Amino acid sequence: MRTWRTPILWLAVLLALVLGMEALEPLFRLIQPDTQGVIYRRESFLFLLGNHVLLVLVSATIGTLAAVAGGIFATRPLGRDFLPLVSQIASIGQTFPPVAVLALAVPVLGFGEGPTLVALVLYGLLPVLRNTLAGLDGLDPAVTEAARGMGMSARQVLFQVEIPLAGRVILAGIRTSVTINIATAAIGSTIGARTLGDPVIAGLVNGNTAYVLQGALLIGLLALMTDSLFEALENVWARRVASPQPVA
Amino acid sequence: MSSLDEPPNRVITALGLLALVLVWVLDLGTVQPNRIVSGTGYGLFDAAGWFGAVTVSVGLCALMALAILPLRRRYALLGVLLTLALTALPDLLVVFTSAHLPRESPYARTAVGAGFWSLLFLLVLMLIEVVGRLRLGRRGQLGILVVILAGWALLVRQGGLDSLSLMREFESRPDEFLQALRAHLALALGAVAISFVLAFALVLKMMRSEGWRRPVFGVVSFLQTIPSLALFGLLIAPLSALTAAFPVLQGLGIRGIGWAPALLALIAYSLLPMVRNTFVALTEVPEAVIDAGRGMGMTERQLFLQARLPLAMPVIIEGVRITTIQAMGLTAVAALIGAGGFGTFIFQGLGQAAMDLVLLGALPTIGLALAADVVLSALATALQPRPAAVLQHKRTSSG
Repeated sequence: MRTWRTPILWLAVLLALVLGMEALEPLFRLIQPDTQGVIYRRESFLFLLGNHVLLVLVSATIGTLAAVAGGIFATRPLGRDFLPLVSQIASIGQTFPPVAVLALAVPVLGFGEGPTLVALVLYGLLPVLRNTLAGLDGLDPAVTEAARGMGMSARQVLFQVEIPLAGRVILAGIRTSVTINIATAAIGSTIGARTLGDPVIAGLVNGNTAYVLQGALLIGLLALMTDSLFEALENVWARRVASPQPVA
Repeated sequence: MSSLDEPPNRVITALGLLALVLVWVLDLGTVQPNRIVSGTGYGLFDAAGWFGAVTVSVGLCALMALAILPLRRRYALLGVLLTLALTALPDLLVVFTSAHLPRESPYARTAVGAGFWSLLFLLVLMLIEVVGRLRLGRRGQLGILVVILAGWALLVRQGGLDSLSLMREFESRPDEFLQALRAHLALALGAVAISFVLAFALVLKMMRSEGWRRPVFGVVSFLQTIPSLALFGLLIAPLSALTAAFPVLQGLGIRGIGWAPALLALIAYSLLPMVRNTFVALTEVPEAVIDAGRGMGMTERQLFLQARLPLAMPVIIEGVRITTIQAMGLTAVAALIGAGGFGTFIFQGLGQAAMDLVLLGALPTIGLALAADVVLSALATALQPRPAAVLQHKRTSSG
């Protein structure tokens, strides 16, 4: 239970703030004394949080599946030819700033949640792809050879040896990808996706620092909660794989 | 060179096939009656005429043929053909505009379509593949890049692309563009420089006292976790409060929004990659080297400046590279809090639904990030310490 304590704590703070922002009205009134509305009310914070999490979750799922599939393809005999190009794409692609990728999605796809999702998927799969390649390609060939020598099929070697051993590196890639995407989804407000970035943008446009602060606090808490969740997941994975288990 | 043929390349074939399909399916370009109204799209045949369409299709088929046919110098040929194709690619847009831009309406403009972008993207991927197979060194890669960019620059100078809406957006604000470039570079590079000094000081402290290591790493990774928009937002309130309390600061240009919170946030983000790389670089110098130096009677100061630092330099520069790329992108976000830079065009364009203004901000942002990557990777390679013995060995083996 200790493992999960930090993420649960952050989650509790996040939810408390989402549901109880009204209670802090006097505090925000101090920051923004001469404005009528000091609490952002155009959408409920719960809706914005839900939409933000949904965008990141869907994009992370699609991106991870695509990246892991691509990584597996490029490290099999069938796709070996593609390995140099795929790893080049994974490293050059990460040079592109996320905000530019988001901006480029608009001329092609228009405004709203859809283009944001596409940009998040495209950008989010790069770190996972790079780590999948590093994890699978970096395995000691002796390990896979030993597995094959034990009579395992290629599929068994992949699912019972290679993926469990590369899992931690892949998980670290997913963590990077999700961290970036939480930040990029917040900027997605500028292209019409309704996320926790909305109060920040509205506040900046109207000169309402209280709105900015509310949005910024919630985005920050969401990021910290997610990061600690991955920390816990990585610990659990490390314990699972490290503990001696009969393979197959 | 062996007399055997190089094996056929399936990657180029696959990319070429994809390019051929996309360039025929998607619009090559659009013509807009003015800046905001969305235009009518033209496919390859309508846009470039039968001559253009045939040239593009035959060119792509030639690339695929070169990739499959039994050839001895496959990749050299492919490299030359791809460089030529990329250099000449914008001419397709010239053909398109001269055929379709209505002469009588001064506000009409042409925009680049998805078909053209796909073709450009896939040709670049093919070139990357070929360059990888040829094992071209950094100099060869730069040479190809220079040829292509020079070709494009020549075309722009001759005015062939003047009716492109991207160029129109640029021509209506050349001063603003230069100002944005200056602000972007000043903010990003300023943050990188300050964080470099800060990180170096922190790492020196961490190397002396182990008690500092955990808390420093804890704080800098915490800062990196906070999303950019949130960090910019969180800095606004305290800075406005500070300037309200000390009006002197306002005279210095420090305000709740503007460059001050942007610079602070950029420095905060830059610290993690900078501290991590500098720390790893300086602590992982092999102890044997340090011992040897000590045995030669070097002082601690000499050991640091003449042994530890030069050996650590490539990894430190790698940290600077990651930080600079990251800062170039984050500076664009900082435009939201009024810090200037290319992000201003992006967010203005998004606000006005003027897509080419968005491109005018987004493309240079990407360009700056890529340029930082190229320059700093080259610097890291150049600073790689090469012991005399290795050099000599290389000379004899290659000669």
